[in-house]
Amino acid sequence: MKLLEYKAKELFDKYGVPTMNGCVIDSSENMEGEIEKAGLTYPVVVKAQVQIGGRGKAGGIRFADTPQEAKKHCEDLLFTELRGYKVNQLLIVEKSENNKTELYLSIMLDRLTKCPIIIFSANGGMEIEQTAKEDPDKIIKIVVDPFVGIKDYMATYLLSKSGMDLSYKKQLTAMLTKLYAAFMDYSCMLVEINPLVINAEDQLVALDGKIDIDDSAMFRLPDIQEFAAKLQPDNPLIKEAAEYNFLYIPVDEEGTITVVSNGSGMLMSCIDLISKEGMKVSAVLDLGGGATSDRIKEAIRILLSTPGAKALLINIFGGITRCDEVAGGVKMALEEAHQDKIVVVRMEGTNKEIGLATIDSIKDVDIVSVPGLRECVKALADRRDRL
Amino acid sequence: MSILIDESTRLIVQGITGREGSYHTEQMIKYGTKVVGGVTPGKGGQEVCGVPVFNSVKEAMAATGADATVIFVPAKFMKDSVMEAIDAGMKMVFTIAEHVPVHDMMYCYHLAKARGVKLFGPNSFGVISPGKTKAGFMAGYFFSQGSVGVMSRSATNCYETVKMMTDNGIGQSTCVGVGGDMIPGTTFVELLPDFEADPDTKAVVIIGEIGGSEEELAAAYIKEHFSKPVVALIAGKNAPKGRSMGHAGAIVSADGTGSAEHKERALRDAGVYCADSTQHIIDILLDLKAEGKI
Repeated sequence: MKLLEYKAKELFDKYGVPTMNGCVIDSSENMEGEIEKAGLTYPVVVKAQVQIGGRGKAGGIRFADTPQEAKKHCEDLLFTELRGYKVNQLLIVEKSENNKTELYLSIMLDRLTKCPIIIFSANGGMEIEQTAKEDPDKIIKIVVDPFVGIKDYMATYLLSKSGMDLSYKKQLTAMLTKLYAAFMDYSCMLVEINPLVINAEDQLVALDGKIDIDDSAMFRLPDIQEFAAKLQPDNPLIKEAAEYNFLYIPVDEEGTITVVSNGSGMLMSCIDLISKEGMKVSAVLDLGGGATSDRIKEAIRILLSTPGAKALLINIFGGITRCDEVAGGVKMALEEAHQDKIVVVRMEGTNKEIGLATIDSIKDVDIVSVPGLRECVKALADRRDRL
Repeated sequence: MSILIDESTRLIVQGITGREGSYHTEQMIKYGTKVVGGVTPGKGGQEVCGVPVFNSVKEAMAATGADATVIFVPAKFMKDSVMEAIDAGMKMVFTIAEHVPVHDMMYCYHLAKARGVKLFGPNSFGVISPGKTKAGFMAGYFFSQGSVGVMSRSATNCYETVKMMTDNGIGQSTCVGVGGDMIPGTTFVELLPDFEADPDTKAVVIIGEIGGSEEELAAAYIKEHFSKPVVALIAGKNAPKGRSMGHAGAIVSADGTGSAEHKERALRDAGVYCADSTQHIIDILLDLKAEGKI
């Protein structure tokens, strides 16, 4: 779950990470009132709340010297679209002027060391990938032992290694400590500040914020759940599937084949093999392990409502997922909706026989049962002219 | 022989009274696993499938002499269950649940390493030494005893491969589900020395997928230290792009680590046979068999 900037700023404020004063605008009516209430000093920056890279270049970040100008920017940006993303909120913050320098700071969970890793660069402001490519020596990393946490010497190392004045040590340590606390408390995959500026008063201030939270930890983060519920999903089927705890993944808009399986490994293999045969997958759905028939019924219904879907491949190799539960759900979904889709079923594993008997009993559906993964792809290829 | 678990392994099931715990306890016992007890707090004194239930891992270990545990509790309770098992002195811990918070697993991973505990999963089917014992939820009937070790990040791709192996008369020594999560308790490279040392394992199949660098690490080890033939499959070549973590995530992968192409290049460079489908794995194994190598 990637947070929008205003939500990231809220968390920064909560943890005492210095940010600029600001307010959030989400309707055209209260615009002036909100700006006034926040008591902002001009000039200000009006920032569209969308998750796109190069937001400034796309016209999503605008400067205003007067309330009139700010209001004009708000009217121009709110509820419009930036590169296909609807702008539902604006963040208005005071502009930090005459900054001495722009830095980069993030903490991410590193797959290789399985530890939080601090990434720091004196070359802030620009995209960090670009610095990584052009000037890798300018990126300083520290692996943090989760049983040790942030220590004073880390800021010293970051500053010294990047040729900066050690007088910022106290501020940087405080910044790291607060950011790390947020990172741990909110089960973050990434907390990023870019740019982190040293302003005219020699203070470190976060001018932007990116936070990515582990979806699996959402159950213990009620405030983030509330934020997520208000977000408009890119694809309503993703949200609908998520309500039943399924992962719906759009693959190719031109695809006609949908695939359901009980594991992402098998789904990847299906996509690989179908693509290899020159056919296209539109969307896949991961049942995960141990789904029951009533939930599987919903999974099939959601997947079949994918626009352009002409075929459904059900490929189950059940361990903790039982074939009888799957077949029961498939039967309910297909018989209820009078589907005209091509359905190919492959079932193996726990309670296979009961499952296959149930599949055989499904009436009035163009359904074929096959024994293996290879045969699944062949059955689809044989019906290629109808896809 | 086999690696990690065999007929002598004494297993307990944490979460034994739950829907999955009790069902798979029955399945494991039917397969021949020595399930000696189970743990569900508050249900101590009961019995499931004829084995005693205890309130805590410590009590279960004292009463049964268990030396391994399989954890069937929901994801949100996994961290506590793993910590309890490690604290009680358990040296082999199998975790099953999917959707375990990555931070929870980060904690468990480092705790296990510090205490010298072998931790497997999460998001894993467990481990099976065919014909001997299994700890996990895989159906047992399509596994067969033999000389090929299997390690997989995906349960379903492993089942698919193993069933075809069995159908083609190629048995397995031990099959390990390393799990599909971002932080697996044990990765491919840590299992290779065990397979190398096992005289009954003649070849190894690695079923990997895109993301991370576990396959690259395995390749580097194989190149220097592994003498047996290895066959690998990397799933996800055509998976939809753009599900990355954002800017900082791209730093560690700026060199291409994580893509199927990068992994296959590393594996090929280490002399590993790279397959492009499960069928292709079987074809390669049949060739090895014809050459008398397995």
